[in-house]
Parts: sequence; structure tokens; C-alpha cells
Amino acid sequence: MDGGQFLATPIDVAAPSASAPRRAPSRWGGVAVGAVAPLLLLAAWQATAQFDLLPEQILPAPQAVYEALRDGVADGSLLSSTLVSLRRVAEGFVAGASLGVLLGVAIGLSPVLRRMLQPSFLALSQVPVFGWLPILVLLVGIDDAPKIMIIGWSAFIPVVLNTAQGIRDVPPGLLELGRVLSFSRWAIFTEIVLPSAVPPLFTGLREGLANSWQSLVAVELIASFEGLGYMMAYGRQLFQLELVMAAAIVIGLIGLLLHLSLSAIERHLQRWRTDAVR
Amino acid sequence: MTEAPGLEILGVSKRFHVAGGAVQALSDINLTARRGEFLALVGASGCGKSTLLRLILGLDTDYDGRILVDGQPVLRPGLDRGMVFQEHRLLPWLTVTGNVAAALRQSRLGQAEKRDLVAQHLDLVGLTRFATAYPSQLSGGMAQRVAIARALVNRPPFLLLDEPLGALDALTRLRLQDELKRIVSDGGITAVLVTHDVDEAVYLANRIAVMHPNPGRIAAILPVTDSVERDRSEPEFIRLRDTVLGLLGVREGTGRRAAADVDRRVAA
Amino acid sequence: MTTRWRIFLPWIVPVLFFLAWDLLAHFGHADPRFLPSLEQVGGRAVAEWRDEDLLGHVLASLQRAGIGFGIGGAAGLALGLVIGLAPLLQRLLGPLLLVHRQIALFAWIPLLSMWFGGGEAGKLAFISLAAFQPVLTNTWQGVANIPGKFRELAAVLTFSRIDTVRLVALPAALPSIFTGLQSALIYAWVATIGAELFLNVAPGIGGRMNEGQQLFKMDLLLLCVVLMGGIGLLLNQAATLLQARLLRWRTA
Repeated sequence: MDGGQFLATPIDVAAPSASAPRRAPSRWGGVAVGAVAPLLLLAAWQATAQFDLLPEQILPAPQAVYEALRDGVADGSLLSSTLVSLRRVAEGFVAGASLGVLLGVAIGLSPVLRRMLQPSFLALSQVPVFGWLPILVLLVGIDDAPKIMIIGWSAFIPVVLNTAQGIRDVPPGLLELGRVLSFSRWAIFTEIVLPSAVPPLFTGLREGLANSWQSLVAVELIASFEGLGYMMAYGRQLFQLELVMAAAIVIGLIGLLLHLSLSAIERHLQRWRTDAVR
Repeated sequence: MTEAPGLEILGVSKRFHVAGGAVQALSDINLTARRGEFLALVGASGCGKSTLLRLILGLDTDYDGRILVDGQPVLRPGLDRGMVFQEHRLLPWLTVTGNVAAALRQSRLGQAEKRDLVAQHLDLVGLTRFATAYPSQLSGGMAQRVAIARALVNRPPFLLLDEPLGALDALTRLRLQDELKRIVSDGGITAVLVTHDVDEAVYLANRIAVMHPNPGRIAAILPVTDSVERDRSEPEFIRLRDTVLGLLGVREGTGRRAAADVDRRVAA
Repeated sequence: MTTRWRIFLPWIVPVLFFLAWDLLAHFGHADPRFLPSLEQVGGRAVAEWRDEDLLGHVLASLQRAGIGFGIGGAAGLALGLVIGLAPLLQRLLGPLLLVHRQIALFAWIPLLSMWFGGGEAGKLAFISLAAFQPVLTNTWQGVANIPGKFRELAAVLTFSRIDTVRLVALPAALPSIFTGLQSALIYAWVATIGAELFLNVAPGIGGRMNEGQQLFKMDLLLLCVVLMGGIGLLLNQAATLLQARLLRWRTA
């Protein structure tokens, strides 16, 4: 009956909580300390190259990787590869995530649908995503279609699961409040169910986007003639490790950027959470 | 005869169906509250007082007997009955203003009128300064005041309170009791308060219904006459409180003795 | 009355799906190369078992996943504990490790294959790396986020450093560590298939898939999909059961 425990925070949170870290390092101080390890790593890498400790087929000099990046930017090949990859991820993720939200909401709202679809869905999701790739390539060919499907499917899975869970976990006390305030069913859905499912929904989207990016690299490595993943596969075939590392750096940076921008949107949508306000 | 009937609970019984059979939660409850009356339901946990409140709200219509509000049977929740839960149940993603305004969604008033009503009720509970705060930034007492404003913003003739101050600290509870009393009597509201705090019931109510559990039933209805000074140190107040405590089966002897003590001192 | 048909609900979709599949394969005009019937897939399973040592391939894959999980999990656990308990290390390495986590796992395949070769060493390096990340992150976060009241309790009871780790830090972080180990198990399994598909052909389910794709054996590919899904499901169940047993105190 009393299901209103939707705030995990203690009752009196108006005052700054005492458990907050006492000597939080300043923002720039934190950045400086965090930069020490990467700089040391870079220095060691440079030293290795300087004193020829490793053959350059194993570890090319930082200079070589930098030049590969610079040349890629100069002749536009890096930009065009990046754009190809980004377009594939965007298409796959948008399709997979929006279908995922729809199915997640349906499964979350209807117990009958959930019993009917969830077990099959869970069984399918156990197959490693790119295990489908050989089948899809045989069925629909080697062009963009199977890649987009794989990328979309890898976003679809976490979005469905998290959305459905979020909708089912709406505090019963708040649903009851909606009835007490004479909300229509639609108003209960839009004003209470959806907003309270936003945090898990975003968990799903973040996982989904990370998965999409993972899958993109995987499918481009084996079945593509353009894109960042192909750039790596190509560099590997030519034993140009600096090209492989340049592509890896771009892939890492874009992955980080995608993660950060989704987190920023999430923080904006969840201003009401104290931990997000801080 | 011509007086508005207020709230009528007529022969209400309620059973819950559980795995092993059925549990009788309420048995033949008869209770009325006149217009403008403040009725308190006291009893130990499990005596069905919160269940009864849910029936009056119309959250549950599966029971025997009849519940009439202003002569009309209760079929579903309605804006004529404001409700304050024990936990504030504020929507965490809405500001204080947004939470109070949420109760006006189904109202047909214009935007300007709604804005005025919200501002007016935030003022009533003294939270105008926090209009743009989110619930997570409020203390427990402040959040519960928002919940009270939300319950009142439709100007309902009836106000239902389910241990509204039960989760608050003692000082805040005393302060909010005074606020509740003022708001209810100024608004001419018919209020039903469920509480296990006997002191609170005696302090606020015009009449106290004492409930016993297994099955939930009414053991006694005590009027709180206007002659009872609402002062916790008055002998009349203490005697009434001890009577209720006695009916609930706690500290019967000591309570009486204490009251008699006070009587003697006052007489001397 | 309603419960009776509810138990059939989960079977409606799969039964209809397989029925449609088989009917289409038998009576439709679908090319059997693209849509083998269920009997064909079953027949392939028998043939693989008899002639191609199917069990050996499955075991080879499982062994790879196990070794990679062991190496990566142990390394992640050790590093996570050290980082979580040493605030200075956490500030030094934290940002680097967080960025590292964002790099798509498969971007490591070309690099690792050049460093360790495309054979067994390269595969195991990749699987270990896949298992390493979730264990590291969850152990680190679990140990670093021990509620302040537990730390205070340890201080009040004047625990030694070792006792603090043994009696407070580890048990408090255990649920989080298990979450990490469970995802590591799944990651290791996914990475095993990935390594077998992307690196040199070797015995294993991924190796059979490569052959299925090159020789256009759709029935073999479908068989592999069923095997991969089944094994993933079993690993998941096993991890959940184990976790429930080891964390019994949480339900109390």
C-alpha cells in the first residue's frame, strides 16, 4: 500500500550532505593529476622509439602516428572514413533505439505482452551480436544493410530491457497519486510513468550507444571497404601499425565524445536529482 | 434535515483475499462526519484505518456497505476529496510549483486563475520562497507542506489525511499541527485524519473514532467538546487523551492517576 | 482459469516462428540454400557431431573463454582493489582507465594481432582484455564507494588495515565485484566468438562459422547461432545462481 519510497536520499537533504567528500580536489587540480599517467605513458612510448627498443612493426614512434593522423586529415581520408562510420552508427542506433523504446514501453505496460515476448527476446539476445553477421551477409549481401541491422540490434537489446524495467518499477504510490488527482490514463502515462522511467531509459540508451559503436568497429573490420574499422583492417594488412593506431585513437575519442554528450543530455533532463544538480 | 450530510459511512465491511483465504479488514463500520467537522480515526497499525481512508477516496470500490459524500455514492477518486499521504509523494521531476499545479490538471480554470491558486496555496503553507525548488532540495517538513498545498489547491470540501505528519520530527510535527488546524478551520473543510498519535487526534479533531483490529471495527466515538481547551497542559485535554489511550489498551492506570493528580492540583 | 493459458504465452511466438519457418522451407518457394528446413539443421547437428567433432569445437571455445576470463578477471580484480583502496592511485590512473573503457573493444583486435600474432596468444590476449575491463571498473567502484558509515565503523573498532580490507572493504564491495565478474563472463564469451571469427582459423565455434560462411552452409551457421545462444544462456544462469548462493546475506 505504501509504495512511495522513491527517494533514496534521507529526509533532510536541504543541508549539504555530510558524507560528501571533504577535500574534493579542485577541478583543474584533478585534471592535472589525471594527466600525469598518460604523460608518463607517452614519455615511455617516445623513449622506446628514441632508443629503438622495439621494431616499428610492433610499436611505431609517436611521431609516425601523429604523421598518419596529420596526413589523414590533410588528404581528407580520415574525415570521410569518420563520416561513413558516424552515419552508419547514427542510422543503426536511431532505428534500434526507437524501436527498442517502443517495444520496451509495450512490454513494460502489458504483463501479457511481457510474458509472451520477453523469454524469446532474452534467448535471442544471448547470441553474440556479430554471430549474426555471417548469416546476414549471406542473406542480404555485403552492402550497408547487414551492418546497420547488426548495429541497430546491439542498441535494441539494452534499450528494450532497461525501458521495460523502468516502466515496471514506477513507484505504486505515485500511480495512486495520479488516480487521486483524477488524472486520465494518458496523463498518468505522460506525467508519471514516463518521467520516472527516464533514468533507466538513459542507462539503456548509454549502453545501447556504446554497443552500437562497438559493433560498428567489429563489422567494419570484417565486412567493409570504408570507415574507421576498415582503416584499421587496411593498416593491419599493409603492416602500417601507425595507421591502425591513428584509427584506434579516433575511434576512442569519438566513443568518449558520444558517451559525454549523452551524459550531458541526461544531466539536463534530470536536473531534479540532487546528485545531478551538484 | 436540511443540513448538508457531509460524509456518511454506512455498514461498510471489507475483506482482502489472500493466498490462504480471506482476511476481514473492516467489519460493519458506521461513521458520519458533518460538514465542517474534523474527524480523527485512531488505532494501532493493522486496525484498518488506512483501508477505510482508501475506500472513502474511491481507490478501492470492492466492499460491502455504502459510502456517501454529500449524499452521492463514491465510485472513484475525485477532486472534491483532497488527500495527503504519509510519504509526501511529490513528483521528484517537478518543482514545488509544478507539483501543486499538477493537481489542477483536470480543472477547467484558465491559466491565470490556476497560477493565482498555486501562488495563493504556496503562500498558505509558507513556501513561496521555494516555488522553484525541486523536492530533493526540501526537508521532510517542507515537502509535506507542499503535499498539503497540493491537496488543497482545488479547494476541496473534504480533506483526507493518512498519518500526514507521521514521518516528521517532533518539533516540525507540532508546528504543522497548528498550521493544519488553522487551514482546515479557516476553510470550513470537512477533514478525516488517520493517525496513531492520540495527542494529535485530541488536539485537532472535533470527534475521535477509536478503532480496534481483527477485524477492524469502531470501538468508541468520543466527542471533543468545545469546552476542551486546545492546550496540552489542561486537565480536560489530558483526561480525554488518557481515555483514548485507555480504549487502545495502553497505560490505563498510570494515565488515570496522572489526570487525577492534575485535577487535585487545579482544585487546590 | 487465467493462469492456465498464461503458462503457454511464452511459447506462442517461438512455436509460430518455427512453424512458419518449416512450412516456408517445405512448401514455400524459398531457396533451400537460404532457408534450410529444421530437419536439415538437425541433420547438420548430427553430422557435425559424428564427423567434425562438434563437442571438441565447443570445448575448444569454452576453454579459450575460461582461460581469458581467468587471466583478465584476476588482473582486473587485483588492479581494481589496489586502485579503489589507494586514493592517490585512483586520481592518477582513474581518468586514463575511464578513457580506455570508451575505446571500442574490437579496435584492439588489429593491434593485438600484430603484437601477439593471430594464433592462440592473440586470441587469449583479446579475450583477457574483454574480461579485464568490467571486473576492473566494478571492483574499483565497489571498493571506492563503500559507505562512509562502514569506514567510520572500522575506525571506531580500530581495525588494522588488513582487517579493514578483509572484514569491511571486501564484503561491502562483493556485490559490485560479482556484477563485474558476471559481465566479464559474458564479455569473455562474446570476445571468444569474435576472436575466432576475426583472427586465424582454429578449432572452435567461430571457426565452424567461418567455414559455414565460406562454403555457404546456412544450416551450419544456424546451428552455430543456436549453440552460441545456448552456451551464453547457460553461462548467464550459472553466474546468477552462483551469485545468489554467495550473496545469501543480502536477502536477509
